Amino acid sequence: MALLKKSSIWIAFLIALLGLPLVFDSILAISILNQMVIAIVFALSYNMLLGQGGMLSFGHAVYFGLGGFLSVHALILIEFETMVFSILWIPLIGGLFGLLAGIFIGSFSTHKAGTVFAMISLGIGELIAASSLIFSSFFGGEAGISGDRTFGPMFFGFDFAQNIEIYYVAAVWAFIATLFMYLFTQTPAGRMANAVRDNPERAEFIGYSSRKVRFISFCASGLFAGIAGGLFALNYEFITEENLNAATSGRVLLMAYIGGLGYFIGPIIGAVVLTLMNSLLSNYSELWMLYLGIMFLLTVMYLPRGFAGFIMMHQIAWIRGNMKLLIKPYIITAIPALLFTLCAIALIEMSHIEDEVFHYLGLELNPASPITWIVILAVAGGAFYAVKRSLVQLNDAWETANAIPKEEEA
Amino acid sequence: MAILSLKDVKKNFGITEIIRGVSLDIVEGEKHAIIGPNGAGKSTLFHLISGRYNVTAGSICFKGQQIENKPPYEIARMGLARSFQVTNIFQRMSVFENIRCALFWSKGYGYSFWHLLGQQTELNDEAMHVLDQIGLADRAKFPSGELAYAELRALELGVAISSGSELIMLDEPVAGMSHSEAQKAVELIRKITEGKTLIMVEHDMNIIFDVADRISVLVYGEIIATDEPTKIRANSKVQEAYLGEVHSA
Repeated sequence: MALLKKSSIWIAFLIALLGLPLVFDSILAISILNQMVIAIVFALSYNMLLGQGGMLSFGHAVYFGLGGFLSVHALILIEFETMVFSILWIPLIGGLFGLLAGIFIGSFSTHKAGTVFAMISLGIGELIAASSLIFSSFFGGEAGISGDRTFGPMFFGFDFAQNIEIYYVAAVWAFIATLFMYLFTQTPAGRMANAVRDNPERAEFIGYSSRKVRFISFCASGLFAGIAGGLFALNYEFITEENLNAATSGRVLLMAYIGGLGYFIGPIIGAVVLTLMNSLLSNYSELWMLYLGIMFLLTVMYLPRGFAGFIMMHQIAWIRGNMKLLIKPYIITAIPALLFTLCAIALIEMSHIEDEVFHYLGLELNPASPITWIVILAVAGGAFYAVKRSLVQLNDAWETANAIPKEEEA
Repeated sequence: MAILSLKDVKKNFGITEIIRGVSLDIVEGEKHAIIGPNGAGKSTLFHLISGRYNVTAGSICFKGQQIENKPPYEIARMGLARSFQVTNIFQRMSVFENIRCALFWSKGYGYSFWHLLGQQTELNDEAMHVLDQIGLADRAKFPSGELAYAELRALELGVAISSGSELIMLDEPVAGMSHSEAQKAVELIRKITEGKTLIMVEHDMNIIFDVADRISVLVYGEIIATDEPTKIRANSKVQEAYLGEVHSA
């Protein structure tokens, strides 16, 4: 019974992974779903370092990218029949090389956590990214390298030419990888990673070398990042320097952080949100990276434990059955907050746009006219004031919802 | 038979001599207290024995093996456990997890990533047993960073004793506690160190004379006397250097 209860969330996760393409079945949706499962594995592997092990890495794309490059090379070998095996196993090749890179780089970078580790990771990231442009026979220079996933033995008649077919392969691998990453947190090595994150010195006095604990997490993280890289190779059939450079490392950090480092589910949320923003928002605005940056700043400042932390904040109110006290104040704050956000976006877009008319939410705004600016600024100001006023109420409601009942206090 | 033996141990920080040649034998099973005025080097001596600092000169033997300059985890694995003066725990983990982590090595889990902790019934029961002993059973799931001070000190003690070590070193275990809390803590220390060797640094004289079989007096990096409590009380050198200072203060 307890096992059933524990596994129910995993069964739900599997059903969600396998069922999503039935609901969202457009070409665009499948492409987004593919990116999403890859991002989930990658972000979770990053959280093994930062959230669970306390290692801030600025070069995690190295393991993702190397896994991806080796996977594309494996695709090429399959294509020319140098090796004969199903492309289903490609993510394992990515994982293996992610692991090997982790063992090699981890052997000297896990001496210390903190600034030293962060700087080494940055250096290695730059080094590998630069090397990838220099050693073009392996990395293919700026153009990268490409393969073809339709070769190799068929799997029950599938040749994986369709994106939807590769999605199911990726979804199953993502499920397995997520499950193993979760199980890792439930082992002595996983718990000691938390202990070393909290207090590396004390860990040594209970018999553990902090360095070795970090090294194990580091290698495991490299393995799973490599698997994500292999999934990327299968999905896109090409890989370039961009996939192992600092920008990719930065993106995975953002995903894990915005989702919430302290919770296993955090990076999953972050991966989903950022992939959606990346794919959908970029259709609407050239400035989406700016909005992403603002969202990251706001998360760091106001939700240091990420989206997952924000959800978990409501645990006490939920247990006490006080959620209903919060709904109304939340809505009262959310309406002007949304209005303010919309106005702010309008202002940002208007300063960027070069057309004479700015189409926005069904309105036709004229960026050249000062009146447009004054009106929007006024609305934004009013909305901001309303948010500030409503926060007082929200705060009171929060206090009431979380207050310790009188009898418990005594 | 000495379980721990220090020979002419010295420690310099730059040109400052903190420990100026300490020789000391700790007999197996005894409760040994180290006292001395502030800045005498008591905590430094603890750090040297437990491997946090390297010695400048001299040797430290634990169970017949040289341990000076070994990393702390190797010394801990040999069966030497210690607590810290300033609480030093895994603050973002639960109380239960703190204790369970402290049990891993002595229970033979090492760096295992193939044991699922949920299934290690014996280990989990042992962790609950330790929590019972230190009186924190009802706090098992509590985030340890949010404990009250006396509870934190109890957890600190629990982490130190979980490893099942033969030699336990406690650095001011009751510092900052109220009188009644300190009384309870002393009872606890007595209970959990039964049949083991204990070295402790403490300021509270009542507690020391209550718990210790022998006392060493450390003054400016040197041990000026090691003896039974009543004889230490009568020792004129000690009275002059240490106890006298307390009385006049």
